[in-house]
Amino acid sequence: MEAVLRIFRKELVQVFRDRKLVFSTLVLPVLLMPVFMFGPSLFLSRLMQGAAEKVQEVAVAGLPQEALKALEEARLEPVPHPDPEKAVREGRYPAGVAFREGVYRVYGRLASGLTESQVVVEKVKGALQALKEAKVAEALRRAGLPQEVLSPFGVEVVDASPPRERAGGLLGFLLPFFLVVFVLSGGQVVAVDATAGEKEKGTLEALLAAPVPLVQVALGKTLATVAMALLSGVAGLLGLALGGAWSARFGGGVLTERGETLALGGQVSLDGGSFLALFLTAFLLALFMGAVMVALGLYARSFKEAQSYMAPLQLLFLLPLLFLQFRGFLEIEAWHYLLPLFNVALLMDALLKGSATPLEVGFTWASTLVYALLALGLAVWVFGREDVVFRN
Amino acid sequence: MVQAESLTKRYRKAVAVEGLTFRVGPGEVYALLGPNGAGKTTTLRLLSTLVRPSAGRALVAGFDVMREPIEVRRNLGLVNGGMRVYERLTGREVLEFFAGFYGLKGRAFLQALDWVVDLLEMEETLDKKVGEMSTGMRQKVVIARAILHRPKVLLLDEATAGLDVFARRALLDFVKAYRDLGHAVIYSTHVMGEAEEVADRVGFLHRGRLVYEGSRDEALALGEGSLERAFVREVGRA
Repeated sequence: MEAVLRIFRKELVQVFRDRKLVFSTLVLPVLLMPVFMFGPSLFLSRLMQGAAEKVQEVAVAGLPQEALKALEEARLEPVPHPDPEKAVREGRYPAGVAFREGVYRVYGRLASGLTESQVVVEKVKGALQALKEAKVAEALRRAGLPQEVLSPFGVEVVDASPPRERAGGLLGFLLPFFLVVFVLSGGQVVAVDATAGEKEKGTLEALLAAPVPLVQVALGKTLATVAMALLSGVAGLLGLALGGAWSARFGGGVLTERGETLALGGQVSLDGGSFLALFLTAFLLALFMGAVMVALGLYARSFKEAQSYMAPLQLLFLLPLLFLQFRGFLEIEAWHYLLPLFNVALLMDALLKGSATPLEVGFTWASTLVYALLALGLAVWVFGREDVVFRN
Repeated sequence: MVQAESLTKRYRKAVAVEGLTFRVGPGEVYALLGPNGAGKTTTLRLLSTLVRPSAGRALVAGFDVMREPIEVRRNLGLVNGGMRVYERLTGREVLEFFAGFYGLKGRAFLQALDWVVDLLEMEETLDKKVGEMSTGMRQKVVIARAILHRPKVLLLDEATAGLDVFARRALLDFVKAYRDLGHAVIYSTHVMGEAEEVADRVGFLHRGRLVYEGSRDEALALGEGSLERAFVREVGRA
């Protein structure tokens, strides 16, 4: 075991002496995560707010006086134009409106994502909707009917999730997702350097010629990979937490493809037991992934080849997590907690929501440990393959 | 100290070495000579348990390379021309790292360190990071790592590759000094001149087979004063 610790320590000393590597693996995620997660939505919400307050010109044709007045009240400036559609297409106006045969046609450039044109179109639609409602109310009043006739009943949706689940928000999905991303990116730094890197630099042969069983060499390198992976995971989650705090302070959230901002609303309130369980789950996950990375790194002929294996590996590891988004549609059964990676994501989600059962915890830990041991066995086997160790 | 009997290594269809039989005693430098691809590196890897023989057997310091690989490694040191040590560690850290595998810790490590520093004149390398060292200094660290535990058998494979004249000279002097301490050295090279200087006995390796074995003086006589001529002659006869 002493040899394992010796190798473990040596690998980490080597990593921590490379300042650029430490910065890019442990410091940069803390700085970038808040910007990456919340920066775009915050920036966008500011732009949207500015666009909503600004008075924009709108090309109009055939609009009655009441509609022109409604647009002006909505902070828009109607400009008469013979062909509003053409004017918008040519980019001279962000939006246009034409009134023909009782229909208001609103023109905007809507095909290129979220633009100022979209915002102006929404303002036009809002102004015309308000005008329509005012005219309906007036007609009802003249007919002597109450306004409630238009809305005989109300509909209200209430979130009935348990309080801890509601507090967790999207974190149940985001936490395992980012944990895997950072565990992989941090772990691969050591895994590649300690295997293909050693091979390429010519240092591996000296280590293998020392009186140390291969299993101890593999274990030492895997544990160093796990340590760095966990540190990287902590850095990533710290960045996520900072981003959350920033979001709470300044607004913003996760940007959806429709240009809406989805508030994270996540807050973690874990008791000591759940926190330890979460950490142990992350450790087992890192052990599994670390051993796979070490085996794969050693299999590669060179540093570059090893790195080229890591990108597809990342996608492969992330794939099961993507299905976690649809867990609400799945009837989760006990055997789901035996599926590699998916079980970890499910358990983390359950731990955050406070709904994890001992069976789910036991299945996930036991199966992940078995996967980790199998991966470690693979790493030892690869270390013992002379055609792999010496093929460079 | 080293005993190989019909040692053979095959890679799929290719034969790297075949039927090697030789012995090296204590206090002896055995030069394994041959061109690139002759099987020298494979032979040393077989002896150092890095690869497994396809047939035959070998004993190092009395331990079987197949059945007792850890004991074999504990009793030998391996240096090859392409071997490097960790660039971000200092010379002292590299030596301490490897010394631990041989149980050299605390005072025992310091004593071993003093011995190796004196032998290789490498005081200046101890507190310098390997990445900041000259080629010669790095090679001293590589050698020091291999002999720190005073192995009974030292395997050197093209160990002077890439070294400047001073470092090369220091290495050749070291080989003789290490032999004089009573250890067995297998010195593998394609540079015949080096073998002429350090070897007690020589073995000519060609296409994986040992085509000649004898004392250095016998081989020199065979080549009229030149190991190179002797090598060419024996390979031609094989």
